[in-house]
Amino acid sequence: MKLYEYVIRRLVLMVFVLLAVSVIVFVITRGVPSPTYALAPYITPRMTDPQKLQTAVGLGIAEPSCPSWVDFTQSAPGCITPLYVQYFSWLKQVLSGNWGNSVIPSIGVGQSTWGLFVARFPYTAELAVAAALITVLFALPMGIVSATHNNKVPDHFSRIVALVGYSMPVFWLAFILQIIFVIYLTLTIHGNTFGLLPSSQTVGTDCALCIPNPGNINTYTGAPILDAILSLNPAYFWDALLALILPAITLAFSTLGALTRIVRSSMMEALRQDYILLARSKGLRERTVIYRHALKNALLPAITITGLILATLLGGAVVVEEVFSWPGVGQAALDASLFLDINFLELYTLVTALIIVVANLGVDVLYAFIDPRIRY
Amino acid sequence: MTQRVEEVPFEPRSAYRRRSGRISEIKYSLYLARKNPLVLSGSVLAIGSILIAALSGIIVDPRSWAFQYPPRYYCWNNPWINWHLQNIKPCPPGTPFYPLGADAFGRNLLNMIILGLPIDLQISFSIVISAFAIGVALGAVAAYAGGLIDEAVLRITDVFFAFPGLVLALVLVAVFGRNLTILTLAVLVVWWPLYVRLTRSQILAEKEKPYAEALKAMGAGRLRILFLHIIPNSIYPVIVQATLDIGGVILTFSSLMFLGFAPSPLTPELGKLVSDGISFVSQAPWLVIFPGLAIVLVALGFNLLGDGIRDILDPRLRR
Repeated sequence: MKLYEYVIRRLVLMVFVLLAVSVIVFVITRGVPSPTYALAPYITPRMTDPQKLQTAVGLGIAEPSCPSWVDFTQSAPGCITPLYVQYFSWLKQVLSGNWGNSVIPSIGVGQSTWGLFVARFPYTAELAVAAALITVLFALPMGIVSATHNNKVPDHFSRIVALVGYSMPVFWLAFILQIIFVIYLTLTIHGNTFGLLPSSQTVGTDCALCIPNPGNINTYTGAPILDAILSLNPAYFWDALLALILPAITLAFSTLGALTRIVRSSMMEALRQDYILLARSKGLRERTVIYRHALKNALLPAITITGLILATLLGGAVVVEEVFSWPGVGQAALDASLFLDINFLELYTLVTALIIVVANLGVDVLYAFIDPRIRY
Repeated sequence: MTQRVEEVPFEPRSAYRRRSGRISEIKYSLYLARKNPLVLSGSVLAIGSILIAALSGIIVDPRSWAFQYPPRYYCWNNPWINWHLQNIKPCPPGTPFYPLGADAFGRNLLNMIILGLPIDLQISFSIVISAFAIGVALGAVAAYAGGLIDEAVLRITDVFFAFPGLVLALVLVAVFGRNLTILTLAVLVVWWPLYVRLTRSQILAEKEKPYAEALKAMGAGRLRILFLHIIPNSIYPVIVQATLDIGGVILTFSSLMFLGFAPSPLTPELGKLVSDGISFVSQAPWLVIFPGLAIVLVALGFNLLGDGIRDILDPRLRR
């Protein structure tokens, strides 16, 4: 079948997958045994019973014909809206853009859920893109060196680095890096001790390498580094870069192992082919053989995995954001799960599922473009 | 031109001729394992951690976890490492020996790590074994049956693949509370689709082989062919993935505990120990370093083991 037919088929499938994901999340969060569970953040102890019932009716969980709050909590028949009715009204509301108001204290009270998500997403995107760049930058050379010097010292070294990075818990690596660069490596300037890199900020202002007063920027995209570039403020750019280094390295370390392994195995596979033998027997330089011939063919699985890594990083940076207090979407999702902000959890789950499915589709289409052997 | 019988040389039963069969294959695998440094180091770490976890009740008095001492000062009694930190008061002569240091309540960190190891290992083993069982059964049935069942199982795994790692776990724990069963289920739900996909691809390749057809011609039932013949032949990559995943599940689970979803404040789980120690990180960094190092060593052991097994079972490297 043609490529566009394949893409259309995958898009239709994507819609169904997203609907299934939304059903699962909805059923988990609101179909739980007690109907008052989803109401927990909205009901304060000072509300009277009729007020509580009104809130429940307003949220679409209780039928208006319910006699009293006590009947509702005891799940009297005719009091609780059936789950599928709730789901369809939720779906209608959500498709028109209304995700409700956030109830997370200290970051989102009074703000709409969608607004909170959009405000925080650029930070997560910045972190994910930086981590993916660092991963690719380090994993490609390590994988190539591993494959060309198979079973020698560079191979063992990069395999060990990849394996160790793959076995480290992300939160622990984050703290080790913070202990080394912020607490241990310090410079004393004018009697004040500063750590080398900033901790727990998006723009470092009190570290040894930072520029103390970086000035202001205009918010174009929401991500500090991009805004600093667009506002032509190099001091702010430097401070934002310093603050980004540690979280990005932490995130990158765990995916470094996977990508190195894949580059290594696909390069070894490519170097075994007959055309490499022909290229060497033609007298080409080894560098040409490796980079121009073998690498191009070996990069296909690596591209697939890079796309998937980016998608996973966007959704899964929760721990890193929590440790470095990075104001991204993951930290907000963690707070939402602690304070039972169900709207935000649903939005977060659906958006990350969307990103992952779109990334899968994009990577498959890219694969078909690059490799002429693949026909759908 | 055919050879006459007298001209065919007689081959005596030589000492180097190996009988084929599952037992000698296993013996050959063990021989390769002895020669492979990855498997050796990995199995030392993995089996060591399992032993420590199994014997933790005997090595360490479980009551040392409880708050026995009134909150005193930080005590660092190891003569080989000096942290050059400001707020440490020297231990009085009567204090017992703390090899890895102590926390703010005077509890020995080594004891806490040894007590926390069995929790992690038990839960990760149960998760991996359940995911393995469910995934292999579902994937095998889907691949062998084909058709509508195959499509349905594929779509279900697509849906579960769309959830990134911790998200579904967060939602489940937020809704259902923090007991150990829910945490186990939350991580299990994320890990099982991988086994379905892997088993399915292996069995799709395996069921086209002639012996499957021969078995069916002999009259064997489909279930028998699937579970007694096809699955054992195609399960090695899945076993490798399961070994690697033991390490991965330990990391995911301790991340969940680190984020604050521990079932009770008194669980000495390794991720929770790290999260307890971060408020003292500038004064007592060992509280963060050593529990994490324990997690790294355990995960490293199982990852090395899995990689080594994969190297051993690679058909291009055998013989």
